Amino acid sequence: MGDLLFSCSMNAAAIYAKHPDYVQRDVAGECILVPIRRSLAEANSIYVLNETGAAFWNRLDGRQRLQDITTAFCIEYDVTTEQLHQDFETLLADLLSIHAIEEVAVADGPTG
Amino acid sequence: MPMVRRDRLHHLPERFPVFCQWEITCRCNLHCVMCYTDCFNRPDFIREELTTHDILRIMNEMADAGTLELCLTGGEPMIRPDFFHIYEHAIRRGFLVTVFTNGTLISEAAADRFAALRPHRIEISLHGLTRETFERITQGPGSHHRCLDGIRLLLDRQIPLTLKCTAMTLNQHEILAIKRYVTSLGMVGYKLGEDLRHELDGGAGPFQYALSNQTLVVLNRQDDDLWEESCHQDQTEPPPCRSGMQRFHIDAYGMLQLCSGNRHQGYDLRQGSFEEGFYQHLPSFACRRKTSAMKSLLHPTMNHA
Repeated sequence: MGDLLFSCSMNAAAIYAKHPDYVQRDVAGECILVPIRRSLAEANSIYVLNETGAAFWNRLDGRQRLQDITTAFCIEYDVTTEQLHQDFETLLADLLSIHAIEEVAVADGPTG
Repeated sequence: MPMVRRDRLHHLPERFPVFCQWEITCRCNLHCVMCYTDCFNRPDFIREELTTHDILRIMNEMADAGTLELCLTGGEPMIRPDFFHIYEHAIRRGFLVTVFTNGTLISEAAADRFAALRPHRIEISLHGLTRETFERITQGPGSHHRCLDGIRLLLDRQIPLTLKCTAMTLNQHEILAIKRYVTSLGMVGYKLGEDLRHELDGGAGPFQYALSNQTLVVLNRQDDDLWEESCHQDQTEPPPCRSGMQRFHIDAYGMLQLCSGNRHQGYDLRQGSFEEGFYQHLPSFACRRKTSAMKSLLHPTMNHA
């Protein structure tokens, strides 16, 4: 798989890390992100990840490129790359919008 | 959707330890006349309270068990020298933390720490609007000024806040003024309590300040919100008790109990694990409002608001 599977908004070589202002909780089998420096507007909010979202979140370790994560997913799960990229793009945008993750680097060299 | 924003969890098991109210101390700098814990606000009892180490260990076990909402109360929780150590540990473990406080110990530095790691909500008892009424209830000279200062410091930092008072003979003439004051503050919640309870040692002292039903009706009729709420309460059967299903209480000595109002039985968390206490012992604790006939009617609900 190569960069072409990602849309323009996603850089396959990008590396993301979890932001320390979010705590991951497992509550009754649900993966929840709790913001610990919340604003008044989000005082009552928590963020619930589905199974795909939780697995993606767990792989955002500040070392793996998006491309690596996608490749690992395709091996581990029976899922089409199109659906996977659609989910990842949505999730990545959502996580970035609430500052739950931050881009730490863009890997050099070939991505796929 | 891979991720959704919610203000509550759905599909929780019927029995799951979601919400904990934890009375981390009975110590308090005030001596409110209707307080049910002040009888244990004595050195001999305070010496028996949970240590920092015990509290953090139990808290970690609760986090591992999936507890999400944690209410730290007292006594006055902020009077513990280790309060912020406990509070910040709870926030960093991902609990949604609510703090019940009298507000008088909220300094600039304390407000800054709340602002740095924000609570789900802080609830402050405001039992009187004038100094005279407030301090007749709290029996603490200067407490009125310090409480209002604490409220201002939290508002300045946009910390979610609820102000609440208990209707009594001593403050009945200021209840509506307190509500108007809270409304004037903007995004601040308001709660009016009408129930007094026995002291923890069995004393009935608080009931001498109770309002008659007739007085409460007259009071509630003067405000649309209060009247609507009281009519709703009159017209509906009290819901079946769900204590011990998704809610539970821990006292200052580490006893796991069904709720703050039912301490007849407890499981000693200093001696055993939280998991064992919640799943093996709590279900067998008695509650007069929880019967087997009601069990089929129970439906899990949780509301963070």
